[in-house]
This record gives sequence, C-alpha cells and structure tokens, in this order.
Amino acid sequence: MRPRYSRILLRFWKNCLLREMTFRGHFILRVFGEVGWVFLLLVFIEVIFSKTSHVRGWSEPQYLFLMGTHMLVTSLFETLFFENCWRISDLVRKGDLDFVLVKPANTQFLLTFERIDFASLANLPVGIALCTYAAIQGGFTITFGHSVLFVLLIGTGVCMLYAMLFMFALTSVWLIRQTGLDALWFYAMSLSRYPAEIYRGFAGGTLWFVCVFVVPVLMVANLPANVMVRTFTTPFIINFIVAAAVLLILSNIALRWALRSYRSASS
Amino acid sequence: MGKYFVVFRVSLAERMVYRADFFMSTFLRFIPIITTILLWRAIYDGADQTEIGGLHYEQMVSYYLLIMIVRAFGSMPKLATSIALAIREGELRKYILQPIDYLTYMLTLRCAHKLVYFVMSAIPYTLIFWICADYLPGWPGPMMFCLSVLTLTMTFCIGFAINSLIGLLGFWFLEVATFIHAFMTLQYFLSGHMFPLSLLPKSVEQVVTWLPFAYETYYPTLILLQKVSVDEALRIIAVQFVWGVVVGGICLVAWKRGLHRYAAFGG
Repeated sequence: MRPRYSRILLRFWKNCLLREMTFRGHFILRVFGEVGWVFLLLVFIEVIFSKTSHVRGWSEPQYLFLMGTHMLVTSLFETLFFENCWRISDLVRKGDLDFVLVKPANTQFLLTFERIDFASLANLPVGIALCTYAAIQGGFTITFGHSVLFVLLIGTGVCMLYAMLFMFALTSVWLIRQTGLDALWFYAMSLSRYPAEIYRGFAGGTLWFVCVFVVPVLMVANLPANVMVRTFTTPFIINFIVAAAVLLILSNIALRWALRSYRSASS
Repeated sequence: MGKYFVVFRVSLAERMVYRADFFMSTFLRFIPIITTILLWRAIYDGADQTEIGGLHYEQMVSYYLLIMIVRAFGSMPKLATSIALAIREGELRKYILQPIDYLTYMLTLRCAHKLVYFVMSAIPYTLIFWICADYLPGWPGPMMFCLSVLTLTMTFCIGFAINSLIGLLGFWFLEVATFIHAFMTLQYFLSGHMFPLSLLPKSVEQVVTWLPFAYETYYPTLILLQKVSVDEALRIIAVQFVWGVVVGGICLVAWKRGLHRYAAFGG
C-alpha cells in the first residue's frame, strides 16, 4: 500500500509542535535568541552605514532589503530542513538510520521532513517587516510580477540550500562523524548575507566563482533581492532554477549511493 | 598530578580519532575572514575617511586576523554544554566518586584540545598569515611578545571560567542549551568579535568595555595589534587577572553550592 505522505507530514509536524510546547520556556528563549541575532546584525549594518553611504553600489535601504531577504531564506531553511540534515550524522553514527530504512516510506522523505524547528520561524515575520521597511524607505517600485518572482526565487534558494546541505550531511556515512555541518551552515550564511559585488580581486573573484557556479550559496539571497530592488537578467534566473532542480536530483542520487556504503553501527 | 597527565594523554588520542572531521571544521573557519576583508575593503572604499573606529584598513584586516588567534585561546566549544549535560544526565556522579577534581579534569581536557587544535591548525594559520603579511603589524619586541603570551594565557583562563560557569547553571536549570546559544550570540557582539568595539557610539563603548568579554577578546587583540602602549597592556592584563579571579571564584562557589543540590538523576 502506498504511504500517505501528507498524513505522515502532518503527524511529524504535530509531534514537533508538541515537543516544543512541552518546554515552552526553552522555546521562548530560542525565539528571543533568533530575533536577538538579527538585532545584532542590524546594529552592524547601522555601524557600517554610519561610516559610508554605500557598499559597492548598495545603498542602506537596498542593503537592508538584502538582509531581510537573507532572513526569509535562512528562516525557512532552518525551520524546515536544518535540523533534519544535522541529525543525519547522529543517525549514522549511532546506527539509528536502520529504523528509518525499515519504514515503508521513502527514505529521503523521512530524513528530510521528520523534524520542524518552529523557533526558527520567528525570523520570517522579522524578515518580511525588514523588507517592507526597506522598500518604503528606499521608495522602490515593486510590481506584482516582481513579487511573484521574488517568492519563487526564495523557494528555489531554500531547495538549493537543502540539496547541498543534505549531500554534505550524507558524507557522515563515510566519515562517521560529521560535526562540520553547523559550521558549514554558519559560514555559508556569513558568505551569502553580503552583496555579491564585494567579492573582487583574486581571492574575492575565486570565492565569487565558487559560490555562484560550484556551491551556489551566494545567489540564494542576492538574486531575489536584486529582482526587487536592483537589476536582474532572465537567463541568470533560469540557470538558478535549473541548478536547484539538478541539485535536488543529485541529492537523491547521493542518498542511494551513500546507503550502499552504510554499514550500521548497532551490535 | 600524574592522573591529570593521563587524562591529558587520553584526551589527545581521542581528539586525533576523527581527523577528517577536525580538518573540515578547521578549514571552514577560514572562509569568513576572506568575506570580512572584502566587506571592509568595500566599506573603506565608500567612506570619505581613511580611519574607521581609530583603525586604518590594514589595521582593520589585522584586527580580524589576530582575533582568530585570540579566539583560538578563549573559545571553549561545547565546554558549557558538556558540563550541563553531565549534570543533567547524572554522568557527573562518576567523577565525584573518583579522587579527581572535576573542574581540574575539564581544564586538563581543554588544554589537550587546545594543544591538538594549535598543532593541527598551524599550517592553515601560517598560510593565511603569510598571505596577509602586508596587513599585519610585524613581530612585536621582546616585551610586547611576553605581554602577548601573558594576555593570551589570561584569555584562556577567562574563557574557561566563563564557559564553566555557564555549564554549572545546569545544577539549577534542567535545560541550558538554549541559554548557552543566546549567550554565545551576545558574547560574539560584546567581545568585539563581530566588529571592533571602538566602532560603537562612545556611551555604549564605555559600558561594553567594562565587561569581562572585552577583556577576553577585544583588548588582547589590541595588544597583539600593538595598538596599545606597554603601560596600557599591563593595565589590560591586570584587569584580565582580576576578571579571571572574580569569574573563577564565582565558578568555584557555584560548583560547591551546586553539588549540595545535585541529586544524581539518570544513569
């Protein structure tokens, strides 16, 4: 019998919500922690623009819009996928992946959606508010078409990040311990929250090339923000969407490949 | 003393087991420095002044490079979490029953971790400092060199004391992981890791530079940067010593009081 994935998904999310509500104090503290981090980043931006009027052509409202976009992407990714990717290493090391493999449902689905991190969702309204504030402050002309494209590109960016981190997490099958995932996520995000134009010179240019064409983390916030408040080219957008689709397919192939090498760890 | 040497040796061996994981984490640590350098280049290019927060561009880059050295001494990854976990899950019992002082045991482990880290990351550190040699202030004189070693030792002590104290909160609170996360975020800002504290408005700077976090990271970095005189460096180290004694003292009181509350659940 074919499993009913929508019901499984709802059950997963319900379980996670119940878990979060069991430790309400913990949940509230996490929400404050998430929003606090955003506040500190905004302080940093304020400090930057107290010293300069633009950063490689990005004015303060444009930069704030980029920051808001970045927040939307990270918030969605962390809510839906980060914890799921992160726990893959633990599942492998402790042999608990066995319990996922024996279930009569798609393995990638189970690994991808079992957890949802509701506390990370707190930055979604903050990101929307920041984008709105920046758009009003900058007086940007935003059409309905641009808004639809913006939402589509944010979704694409989130899928792209998922595929890349999922594949990285799968390396734990060979490395056994893979604690670099949170560091990788932190650094990928610290790369992608800045305007792509700052990546100049030999080191910057190389990093730009790698982060746009090899591991395309740089575009996940830059491209949607450019669509709304700066300029964009259609071929680049098409390439971005195609790259996300390819990465998603590759993540599935990588899982099958990794499972062939999985040896379990239980006695 | 012999027993702590055994702990040190075992911990060294344990740290060498997951070498691939370690190399991956160490390598990733160097990515943000490139972004930071590029971002500040863009800020200085856009600004109509050559000095920001009392630092020239070269000094700003040096600040971020040298802060990596300071953080290598002061940061204690997972120390607070492991202490809190040992308390919560009853694992602490096994240390209390042994003729060993738990905090000295943790200090020995941390020394071993640091030693392995310094040895393994020597090559990437040397490489990046060699590439960025033009930005760096040059070798300090013998006096400043001794003061630099002293300030880094104090940084290690303050870092250990602060993180242990946070971990010992586990005696009073069931779940401290979120608190630790929020604390680390705040520390990133207050210690001057995010940006030099001299960039803050004067009134805020005056408050922030009184806290132990500034003496854990910001001031030691200024000593390494040779931005302070010998007299000022001696004052900083003296204040570091006071903070080390104060936080270390609170830590010992918390340990003793915590043990009275400890019920050794779990196990």
